[in-house]
Formats: sequence, structure tokens, C-alpha cells
Amino acid sequence: MHPLTIPSAELTPAIHLNKEKETFLIEGKSLIDDPTPFFKPVIQWLHEYSTDPNPSTVLTIKFEYYNTATSRELLDLFKILETIPGSKIVWQFLEDDEDMEESGQELAELVSVPFEFQPY
Amino acid sequence: MSEEILKALTQLFAIITKQDGGVSENERQFVIDFFQQELEKSAIEGYLQLYDTISGYTEQQTKHVDDRSNKLTSVKDSIKTLAICKKINKTLTQKQKVVVLIKLLELVSSDKHFTPQRMEIVNTVSTVFNIAQEEYKLIEAFVTSDQVGTLNYADILIADEGTQSTTPIQKHIHAHVAGHLIFMRVSSVSMFFAKYIGEDANNLNGFIMKPSRVYLFSHGSTIKTPDGAALYYSDLVADFNNEIHTTKLSFIANVDEYKFGNGVIGIRDVKIAEGPGKLIGIMGASGAGKTTLLNILAGLEKPGKGKIKVNGFDIHKDKKKVEGVIGFVSQDDLLIEELTVYQNLYYNAKLCFAQLKEEEIHKLVMKVLEDLGLEQRKDLKVGGVLDKQISGGQRKRLNIALELIREPAILFLDEPTSGLSSRDSENVIDLLKELSLKGKLIFVVIHQPSSDIYKMFDKMVIMDTGGYPTFYGNPVEAVTYFKKATHQVDSNRGQCEVCGNVNPEQIFNIIEAKVVDEYGQPSNKRKVTPMQWHEMFKSNFKASRVEDIHEQPPRSLHIPSRIKQTIIFTTRDFLAKLSNKQYLLINLLEAPLLATLLAFVIKYKSAPGGKEYIFRYNENIPAFMLMAIIVALFMGLTVSAEEIIRDRKILKRESFLNLSWNSYLQSKLIILFLLSAIQTFTFVLIGNLILEIHGMTWAFWLVLFTTSCFANVIGLNVSSAFNSAVTVYVMIPLLLIPQMILSGLLFDFDKLNELLSTKGKVPVVADLMTSRWAYEAMAVHQFKNNEFQKHYYDYERDESIADFKSAYLADELKRKNQLLLDFLEAKSDSIQKRISVNKNILYTELRNERFREGIENLNLTEVFIKNGYTKEIGLLLDSYFENYKKYYQKQYNKSAALIEKKMAFYESQGFNIQQEKNHYYNESLADLVKNTTTKDRILEYNGALIQIINPVFQSPKPGHRADYRTAFFLPEKNLMGILVDTYIFNLLVIWGMTLFFYLTLYFELLKKGVSILSKFNISLKK
Repeated sequence: MHPLTIPSAELTPAIHLNKEKETFLIEGKSLIDDPTPFFKPVIQWLHEYSTDPNPSTVLTIKFEYYNTATSRELLDLFKILETIPGSKIVWQFLEDDEDMEESGQELAELVSVPFEFQPY
Repeated sequence: MSEEILKALTQLFAIITKQDGGVSENERQFVIDFFQQELEKSAIEGYLQLYDTISGYTEQQTKHVDDRSNKLTSVKDSIKTLAICKKINKTLTQKQKVVVLIKLLELVSSDKHFTPQRMEIVNTVSTVFNIAQEEYKLIEAFVTSDQVGTLNYADILIADEGTQSTTPIQKHIHAHVAGHLIFMRVSSVSMFFAKYIGEDANNLNGFIMKPSRVYLFSHGSTIKTPDGAALYYSDLVADFNNEIHTTKLSFIANVDEYKFGNGVIGIRDVKIAEGPGKLIGIMGASGAGKTTLLNILAGLEKPGKGKIKVNGFDIHKDKKKVEGVIGFVSQDDLLIEELTVYQNLYYNAKLCFAQLKEEEIHKLVMKVLEDLGLEQRKDLKVGGVLDKQISGGQRKRLNIALELIREPAILFLDEPTSGLSSRDSENVIDLLKELSLKGKLIFVVIHQPSSDIYKMFDKMVIMDTGGYPTFYGNPVEAVTYFKKATHQVDSNRGQCEVCGNVNPEQIFNIIEAKVVDEYGQPSNKRKVTPMQWHEMFKSNFKASRVEDIHEQPPRSLHIPSRIKQTIIFTTRDFLAKLSNKQYLLINLLEAPLLATLLAFVIKYKSAPGGKEYIFRYNENIPAFMLMAIIVALFMGLTVSAEEIIRDRKILKRESFLNLSWNSYLQSKLIILFLLSAIQTFTFVLIGNLILEIHGMTWAFWLVLFTTSCFANVIGLNVSSAFNSAVTVYVMIPLLLIPQMILSGLLFDFDKLNELLSTKGKVPVVADLMTSRWAYEAMAVHQFKNNEFQKHYYDYERDESIADFKSAYLADELKRKNQLLLDFLEAKSDSIQKRISVNKNILYTELRNERFREGIENLNLTEVFIKNGYTKEIGLLLDSYFENYKKYYQKQYNKSAALIEKKMAFYESQGFNIQQEKNHYYNESLADLVKNTTTKDRILEYNGALIQIINPVFQSPKPGHRADYRTAFFLPEKNLMGILVDTYIFNLLVIWGMTLFFYLTLYFELLKKGVSILSKFNISLKK
């Protein structure tokens, strides 16, 4: 399976998805008004991956900021993870960013995938 | 709205308004207004506090921060919004979600503070709510914009003083409105919203419309301008709807008068003119003639004076042109209870659409089921009153579906909501409303509608006792009209100011108000009589005009060929019968049970010593055969007697399709004959097995099957003529007892009332009985063709003829001749009479006689007819009869010897003659068909000698070519000059009778006869 790599830009985060190397990372900030086109290949990649996943999948989310529209896309991504056995989300946030920590906790309540919170 | 949802909404409001600089006073006021609408006063405080906390309003107040700079939405708020929307998604319907979205947009636009952050949140909410992006854009534009020119959407309609729309695709109507009234259709949920931009105080359902506020424009709503112009929901919907404009339909009814059968006037002076896309209600007190009016409009009843025209075609005269255009859903269930929901619809579709392929029909049926919310129930049996499998609402919807599937342009429904819960009622009317929006014209008789249902109608026809129309127009206005007419206060308010409810009961309270006597008790006299209401109606309402269209009305009917119809009817009926386990079980077990019972009871140790059972000596065999025939008749009648009665309702519905009556009847016959075949076969099989009747299975079966088929057709005749199953079952003895009386076994045909009987022949009345033909066929066939008798029958026949002639006839003729000789000279009248009778007898007997030795040269005509009888001839004849007797004695001996020889031959071949006879031959039956018990072997009757003994060995002596009549049990019959075996002849007779009664059934002669009789009764009463 081809890895998916999208470098970060002014309004969009960086994506690193690699099945062989077991890297699953979204990092940076998302301010884009209409995030659907941006996240489309990511969702597609995950769908394909879910048909033949690794025994364990750890998706690392390391956001500085994301807007409301992006939150919707994130939820869609996590919903796919729900269908993959052995998946986990590592939610990384700046140590003093309470907002980011709490938003992660709220998201964790909306999906059944286990969350791990890591301040950095 | 639940507490949970209200809490969620409050949070949403707060999150949105806290973005980009916090809450403004206007926005907070909007939220308070919203709470005031939804909550009682005491609860508002709590929710407002929640709002203030989350939105940061409290902080704003204390810290006096007025930082209106653009800050990014916090990620926490984003996720919170998401969580709230997900929660709302789980509880609210799509319609409610649209309302929530509009509320959010209104909140934002209350202060016109449209920042990207706020709009982004609202947009996200709409996406999570699964509202299409285009629709969101439409809603956003409608709520936020005050500029008519910017609203370039096909789902926007502007009503103002202008003459045309300001943008290319937006719709426009001209109305006397200061400013603009803007309407929006959200087509995914079929909802309409209204908004007013301007200075006037317009009135929506009795409330003042605040400018720039969005209002739900629900079913039955009306907007009135101060000038008095009114915009009705129904008109507006029509303006939005293209389909209505493309449907070419006009329905014009002028019913001047309709009289019931007893002469009472049922309906007077009703004029209705409607186009496509209308839902019309018919209301009235009980007995006002609502159903009658509906039946007349649908063409089920013919008005005495007046015409009903669809697109200019008279529905009674140009039946062909309007075929399939009208649909009718009666108050009764018109379902086939034994079939599943799917099957009911499927076979109905098959009968309507001959041109569609199997797959297309399946798709169509599934689509209709889905539209009506029945797809989950599709494999459930409909069930009867006692074993209901689907609910009343579902039954009703299925009834409607049966008519909907063929998409009639005009649909009539008689009380489709009676007996339904208010929820189900609303669903049904919702469905009808939707259909009307697709361009159908729908008439509904409705009783005690709820406010919501009442408002959904586009027009209401209100009838008063005696068939007087008293109102025809907008439903809500009916209330104000009647209030005004009786000078009530508050008369220009049709609906409740607070809740928007209309109370249709009010109308009837006013119409039927009674005069109060001096003690305050309401009397029987009405304040306003139906006639007065009608006069008022005539002076207040002018018949509206409808564009009279003169092209073929739209229709989609393709009726299959007759043969295909037969196949469809048959499979449908067959499946219905198969699924009715009780019916099937009873009908299939009935015959074997009766056969076992009967055969068991009449089987006894019949051998001469009483040691064992031997078929030959069973004296009950003749009676068994009669019972078998009665059983066949009985089963045939009972199985068919209810058939048409049960289907009558379904036939009524299908009468709109003009299906073939012949095909229907044939399908009935196919199934009934099949059932009869099975029943009679099992009966014969078991009966014959137990009683050890050998080699007769197929022969008996064919007779019984034929008899049963005849009974089937008789049963169908009765079933088509009478209107209750009870009457039909009471008829059964009336049909069966004569069959028993005149079967020929219970009562000897020669010993019946002189009015009926002819000696030596079966009476004509008995010839009308199937039982007699069937019995004769069975008895003669068993006797003549059983394995034992068939080898000797011909010899025995010769033997019997010779025996009769030598032993009885020779002496008798000799005596007759002696009388002639003795009284040759006598002149007295009485003797002359005897003489001429005797001459006649001698003439007939001798003319057909083969043995002529000694009288070869005698001219019989000369001697007996032309007075040529002399003493010489008399003496010659006397000696001839001596020879005659001797000759036939010899013949008899010859035949007897031949029989013995043949028996000896068979014995030498290893046959045990006695055993064979025990096996196949029955003594009682032989006695019966040989008539050995009779006292008189020979009888003189009407100037002829009649042989009474041995009918089964006689030959018919037809008087003319078409003379079929003979004595009972003759082995052959005359069929137009050809001798036909009795078995075959009798079967042909029964099938002939069956055909005859099929024709009476086809032309419904019995039904017509019965209806003439019942009319006669009524006129007697008067």
C-alpha cells in the first residue's frame, strides 16, 4: 500500500500515513474554510487501509489549532478507526493548552476508539 | 421539544454568539424571545442563565470588555458544537432540524453580525444535519438577505405589487402587498417558510407578521394584507409546483338532483368545478349525504338530473374515454385477507399494467410500499378482522396503495381516517396532500377531522341534512363564514390566536344549532333550516370557474388480455386459498372423512352365513351411490357458495378497471373444479376401497366430479345473486332436497303424483335433477360394465328380451287378440273403445316384431288401422302368438345355454366364476336396475304396453328424433337418432346443464331476477 504524505501548508496540516513503517500522524494547524476536499484523500486512504490493517494502528494527532469545519472531518476520520481492530489515538497537546486537551476529551466521548493524552 | 434538546439548542446559541466579540443585546433579546415561545415564564430564567454562562455574557457585563476583534473559534467550542449536533441528529426529524437551522441563522442575522467564524459554525451544523449544501445556501440567503434581488433561486417566490420577478429563476406572483412577501420552499422536507419585508401589518393565521422574521408557512395557512387580499397555502403551493401546471385536468360536476331508490331526494344542487392538484374535503352531519355525493362524483351512482364531466367527457356516456382516470377507496377494506401486503399490491398491479415486465412491476410495487411506509410489512398476511396482522392504519394505507399504484388522476376516498389513531389519520392525509401536490385531484369524505388535518384541505364542501350544500371554499374561512352568518362576536377569526387551531366542530354547532324553549331546553327545531343555509349559500357563493379542458385525461392503465386476466385471477385466488390453512384443511379432509364414515357404517358381514363381508351381498351399495352423489353436490355447493360474495368488495374496486367478468368467472371455475376433482377423487378412492368396489374408481369419479362441477356453478350463481353468506347457506337445502327426492332411488318414479309422472318414463321434473342423471349413470355403468357382468351382459340381454316376450308379452297379446275375436260384432261404445285400444297395441307391438312366421303377408296397417280385421285374421294371429311364444322360449334357452357355455369356458381358463361374481357383482344393485321387486311386470298405460321389469336390458323406443326420454336405468339413450351409452349420455346432460348455468351466471340472470323481486317488495310496502 502506498504511503500518503502531504506536507503542511499555511492553512492545512501535514499528513503522514505509512502502513509499512507504521506511521500514522496528523500534525500542524487547520484553518481552511472548506476542509472536505483536503481531507478526502486521507479518508480514502484510511478506508482502503481498513480493509487490510496492521495488527495495531496508533494515529497520532498533534494539532496547534483546528477550526469548526475541521472538527467535523476529524470525527469522520475517527469513525473509520472505530472499524479497525487494535486502533488507538494519541492526542498530543502543548502542556498549557487546556482548550486543546479538553477538546480531545470531548472527542474521545464521541467515538469508541481509545484515546491517550500526551502533553509535550 | 424535550429539555435535553432545548439545552442543546441553548448551548448552540451561546457558542455561536460568543464568537467574534461576544453577545450583543439584540442577539440576547432574540434568544429570550425564543425562550418565551418555547417555555413558560418560570423556566426561562434557568435557560437564560445557562446561555449567559456559556456565551460569556455575564463576564462581558462585569469586566466591561468590549473587544470586538476577530478571534479564532476555540477548538473546544468546535468539538462542543459537533457533540451537540450529533445529539440533535439522534432525536429531531429532518423537518425539525431545518427549523433549528433557520433559528440559528435568524439569531446571527438579528444583529447582522455575519462573521466568518459564526457562519462557519452554522455551516458545519447544517452539514452535520445532512442538509444539502445547495439547500443550505438557499436557506442562508432567504434568512439573511433583505434584498429581493439577491434571491435568485427557483425555490423562492416573491409576492408584491410588481409585475415580474427581479431575477431570472425566482418565481413571482402579483398581490396587493406593501413591500414584499418572500416565500421559500425547502423541497427535501416539503416545507414552506414566509418572511415579510415592508411596513404593513400583515396577518398570518391571525397573527401580525413582524418584518424580516421568518415564519413557518404550514398546511392551511393564510396571509392577509390590511387591504383584505389573501394568500392561501394551497394556491401558493400550486404556484411553486410545476407538475400541477402540466397536468391537464378539469372536473366539473353539476348534480341538480339525485333520488334514492325509494324516491327520497338525497342530493340537490351541488356544483363543483376543480382543476388538478387539489385536496377537497366533504363534510356534513351524519345523513347529510356525504358518501352519496362521493359515489355520485365518482360515477358509482348516476344522478337523476345533472352531469359529471372529466375533461369535457361525461363519465356515464363516454366511459371508454375516462377509463382508469378515476380511483375510488371505499370505507370498507378491499383487501384479499389471505394474501400478503405485497401480493395484494402485486396482483393488482398485474391487472393494471399489462405492458410492464415482471421486474418493473416488482419495482413499482416496492416503490409504492416504500412511499406508504409499508415495506417493512410487505410479507405479512393482511389477515381478517379476528386475526389482524397489520394495524388499522397500515390496512388503510394499503387500501389507498391499491388505488395509488395505477395513479388515477382523480381519487375519491370515503372516510379514509375512520377508526384510525390521530397519528395514523395524519399520516394518511399527509400522503394524500403530497399526492395532490403532484397534480392529482382528490376528494375525501372526512368526519371530525383534527385541526391539523382540517387545515390541510384546499377546499371544503359542507353538506347539510337533506343533501343541501351550505359551503364550498377555503376550510378556515368556513368557520368565519358561519360565525358571521349567525352574527357571532370575533367572527373574523377562524383559528385560535395562541395555538392556531381550528375547531371544525364549531361549524356544525352553528349549522345545527337548536332553538331553545322558555325553560332553556334545546328543542327539536333548528335555528336555521338546511334550506335557509342553502339559500344563503347560493347568494354568497358563485361557482368558481375552471379551465375546461377537452383533451384525453391522463391515465396509465393497460389492461391485460382476457386470457392473461384469467391467469392472474387464478394465481391470485390460488395463493389466497393456499395461505388459508383452515379452509384448505377442511376442504381437503372433508371428502375422505365423509367417505370413511359412510363406508365404515354401511360395511357389515353381508355374506349369506353372516361370517364375512362380501361386496356381492352388501345391500347398502345402491344407497351408498346416492349418498356419494349427495356428498358431491353438497361439497360442490358449499365450496362455491361464498366465493363471489367474498370477492364482491374487491370486484367493486376493480369495476373501475373494466376487467373481464368472464375471465374472473373462469378463474373461479378453474380453482373450484380443481378442488372438486380432488375432493371427489379422495371420496371415491376411500369409499371404494373400504366397500371393496373394484374397477369403478375412474368411472365413479368422473360422475361425481361432473356432479360437483355442476354444483360449483350453481353455487356461484347463488353467490352472485344474494348479498349475504347466510342467505346463501339457507339456500343450500332448498337446492339439495329436491335432488334427493327426485334422484330415483328414494321414491320410485312410477309411484309419484300423477301430475308429474309418466308411467314407463322418468318424469320431466326429475330430468331437471342432476342427481337422477348421475345416479343412473353410476348404477347402469356399475351393473353393465363390472368385470364379471361385462362378459355376459349381451347374452343376458337377449335372454331377458326372449324371456319377457315368451313369458309375459305373448300371453298378453294373445289375450288382446282374443278380445277382438270375442267382440267382433259388438257395437257398444265402451267395447268399441277397448277394441280400438287393443288394435293399436297389437299394431305397435307387431310392427316392430322381427319374428313374423305365419303373418308374413299380413298388411298390418290394413288390419289394425283401416278396419280390415276379420275372424280369419284373428284366428291366424291366435296361432301366430302360440308360435311366437314357442319361438322366444327357444331363444331364451339358447341364450341361457350360451351363458352357461361361456361360464364353463372361463372356468376352464382358471377363473373362479363365483369368486368373480362376489368381487364385482352386487345383487342389490342388480335387483334395482332389473326392477325385480315390481309386482306388475307388464303394464298397460295410455294405450300402450309398457315393460316394467328389466329396464337395464331394454332399448329405448323414441317417439321422434329428439325424444330422449326413457324409463329409469335403460342402458342406452336416443340422442338425435343415435343410440348413446347411458353413462356417456348422462354425463353430457350434466355438462350441458353446467354450461347453461354458466351462461346464467355470466349474464347474472339470477341476480337480476332477485333484484326485480326485491323492488317488487318495496312497492308493495308503499
